[in-house]
Amino acid sequence: MKFLCEKNNLLKEITIAYDIIASRNVLSILSNVLLEAGDGILTVRATDLKVGFESRIPVEVIEPGKTTVFCDKMLGILRSLPEEEIEFAEVENNLLIHPKNSMRIDFKLRCVSPDNFPELKETPEENFFKLPQIDFIEMINQTIFAVSEDESRYFMNGVYMEKKDNGLVMVATDGRRLSYINKSFESKIKEFKGIIIPPKILNLAKRLLPGEGEVSVAITEKSLFLNFNSIKISSNLIDGQFPNYNKVIQGEQPNRIVISRTELMEALRRVSLFVEQKAKRIYMTISENTVVLNSEESEIGTAREELSCNFEGTETTLALNYLYLEEPLKVMEEDEVTITFSAPDKAVTIYPVPEKDFFHIVMPMQL
Amino acid sequence: MTVIFHVDLDAFYASVEQVDHPEYRGKPVIIGALPGTRGVVSACSYEARKFGVRSAMPISQAYRKCPSAIFLRVRMQRYQEVSCKIMELFEKYTPEVYQISIDEAFLDMTGTERLFGSPLDAARRIKEEVKEKTGLTISIGIAGNRYLAKLASDYKKPDGLYMVKEGEEEAFLDNLQVKDLWGVGKKTLERLEDLNIRSIPQLRQFSEALLKSIFGKAGGAYLYRAVRGIDPGIFRQEPGSHSISHEITFEADTRDREVIKKCLLELTHQVMFRMIKDCYRGKTVFLKLRYSDFTTITVQTTLRHFVNSAEELYSMAMQLLEKRWDRIRPIRLLGTGVSSLERADTPRQHELFEDEYDKKKKVEEAVYNIRRKMPGNIVIKASLLKKRED
Repeated sequence: MKFLCEKNNLLKEITIAYDIIASRNVLSILSNVLLEAGDGILTVRATDLKVGFESRIPVEVIEPGKTTVFCDKMLGILRSLPEEEIEFAEVENNLLIHPKNSMRIDFKLRCVSPDNFPELKETPEENFFKLPQIDFIEMINQTIFAVSEDESRYFMNGVYMEKKDNGLVMVATDGRRLSYINKSFESKIKEFKGIIIPPKILNLAKRLLPGEGEVSVAITEKSLFLNFNSIKISSNLIDGQFPNYNKVIQGEQPNRIVISRTELMEALRRVSLFVEQKAKRIYMTISENTVVLNSEESEIGTAREELSCNFEGTETTLALNYLYLEEPLKVMEEDEVTITFSAPDKAVTIYPVPEKDFFHIVMPMQL
Repeated sequence: MTVIFHVDLDAFYASVEQVDHPEYRGKPVIIGALPGTRGVVSACSYEARKFGVRSAMPISQAYRKCPSAIFLRVRMQRYQEVSCKIMELFEKYTPEVYQISIDEAFLDMTGTERLFGSPLDAARRIKEEVKEKTGLTISIGIAGNRYLAKLASDYKKPDGLYMVKEGEEEAFLDNLQVKDLWGVGKKTLERLEDLNIRSIPQLRQFSEALLKSIFGKAGGAYLYRAVRGIDPGIFRQEPGSHSISHEITFEADTRDREVIKKCLLELTHQVMFRMIKDCYRGKTVFLKLRYSDFTTITVQTTLRHFVNSAEELYSMAMQLLEKRWDRIRPIRLLGTGVSSLERADTPRQHELFEDEYDKKKKVEEAVYNIRRKMPGNIVIKASLLKKRED
C-alpha cells in the first residue's frame, strides 16, 4: 500500500477515529485504525465494537492495499508533521511516513494485519430513509443534555426515538427532568419500534454533520446507521424499556410566566455562584410581574436578583436545581420563554415563545 | 496550634449496664449473647477483662474463662440513646465533633482556651460533666493531631487524661510498643519481628525509602509518619462517611438458604429503620460473611441513587450474597449495612417517574412510626412471623 495525502485531510479523520476508539492498549486490534487505499480513495475505519466509523477521502493512490496501525501514535505523528503532502508506504510490516519533499523526517510505524479487524455492521440500502441534517441536529441538541448518567438506570442512558405519524419524536430524561422534541417530515419515514440511542453516536453526528443536505438513517433491531456525505457511522442500541414519558407530559398548567431567556440565563449564572453545589438548589419567587431568584443563605453570603416578567397565576415560590433550568435555556435560541406550572411540588414546563416543536420538563426540589 | 481531643467512653456497653443496674457494679459483665448460645462478646466490663475476656471472643470461651460473669444481650437502642446524649454534650464545647463510632469521637478544641481554659482544664470539665450527667467515665487524649490524640486516650485508660505536648511527640511514642501503633496489624508486626525490630526508636531509624521497599508504598509511608507522630491519616473520614450496619452470629453454622434469607431480611429492615430514625441516607450497600473457619469477607456495591427502602436494601444484599457465597461453605456470621452515609435532610429532588421502591418506603416509614409509639415487634413482615408456641 502506498498513497499521498495532505496532512490536514487525514488528520481530521484520524482525530475522529481516535475519539471513537476506547482501547489504548497497543496489543489490542481495537486500538488500531484501519486504512485501505484503492481507486483514488482512502477508507479510514475505527470501532469500539459498539460504535463504528468509516470515512472515505480522496488521495493519490500509488499502490492499493490495506492495513491497520496503532491509532494513538498515528495521531501523534500526524499532529507533529508540517502542513504539506505526506507519503505513506507500507514496507515489510511497517508504515513509512514522511513528508513528500523531505526525506529528513522519517517515521516507521508497525502495521498489524487487517484480518482480525472487526467487520463494521452494514445494512442494505433499502432500509434507509432521509432527513434534513439541520432538523436531525436540532433534535439531538434539544434532548441529548438530559440523558441520565446513572448506570443503574441504563435504559435512561440514551435518547429515546420513535416514529409518530410521519415524524420523529426524541425524548431524553434522567428521571428528574425530561426534554422532548417532535418533528414532522415531508420525506417518508420508515416504520420502526421505539429505540434508545447511546449518546456517543449522537454526539459524533452533531460534530460531523455539516448541517446542509440530508442524512440517511436506518434502524434495525439492534443498531442505528447514519450515512452522510462520505461518512458512515453506526451504533448498538440500548436494550431496555424506556419510561412512559407520555405520563409526565403536562396538560394545561394554570400558572404562566413569560420571561426573557437571556436575562434569566444571566441571572441564573450570577445567583448560582452562591448556590450550594451539591444540591444546586435555587429559589424562584414569582409574584405579579417579577421573578426573584435567590440562593439559600450560607456562611459565605447570599445572592439575589429580581427580573421582570409577565405572570398569570397565583404567587408562589419554587425550588429548583439551577442546572435543570439553565441547560434547556442554553440550547434554545428564542428571545423569550414561557414557564408553566401547577404547584410547587409538580412538574414545571419550559417552552419557547412562540411555541415550537419542543419543550422541557423539570421536577422541582423540596422547598 | 491545633488542639485535638480524642474521647473514648470506657467499656461503654458494660458501663451503661452497670449504671442502669447498680447490682452489676464491681462485677464482671459480659455483653453479646447468653451462655449456651452462639455469638461473640460485643463488650465486657473491666472486671471481666481481668479474667482474660475480650471483645469478639466466642461466648463459649468467655464462659469458660469467667463462668460467674453476668451475661447480657446487647441493648443497642439504650447505648445509642446514651451515646447521643454524650455527643450532644460535646457539642457545647466545640462545633467540630467528629463521632467515629458509638463510643468514640474527635473534638477539635483549637482556639477554645479563652472559653474553657487550657486544654487540660477543658478536658477535666468535660470528664466531670459526663460523669455528672450520665455516671460514665471517659478517657481523653490531647495532641496536635488525631493520630496522637487517639494513642494518648488509650495511654491512661480507663478514666484517663493525657496530653502529648508540642515537641514531645517522639518521646511519647517511645513509651509505647510497636503493637500499640494504630494501623500496625498482625502481618506488619510479624514482618517487623522477622527483621528484629522490636521498638519504636529502632523503627524510626529506617529511611522512608527503605520502609517503602519492605512494606510497600502506602504501608511504608504510613509507618514512617506514624513513628514520628505525624498524622498518617487514618481518621480522616468526615462525619458523614460512617456506616450503619447490623450483624448476627447464627446459633449453629448454616447453609440453609431459607434461614439465611430470612436473617438477611430482618437485618436489612433493622438497618433501614435505623437509617430512618437517625435521618441518614447512603448509596453503598455492603454484606459481611464469616465462614465456620473464621475467614471473613466483605463485599459492597454502590448505587447511583440513595437506598430507598429495606426492600431495595434486601435485594441488593441478596445479590451480593448470590455473587459471593458458593452455597456450600457454612456461614457463621452474616452482616449487612449501608456506608458513605449523609444526612437525609439535605434537599431532595422530586422524581418524574414514581419508583417502585417509593411506595415501599412510605409503608416502612409508617411502620417505623407505629413501632416507635408502641415498642416491640407489633408490625413485622409476614415472612418474619414466628409460629406461636402453644
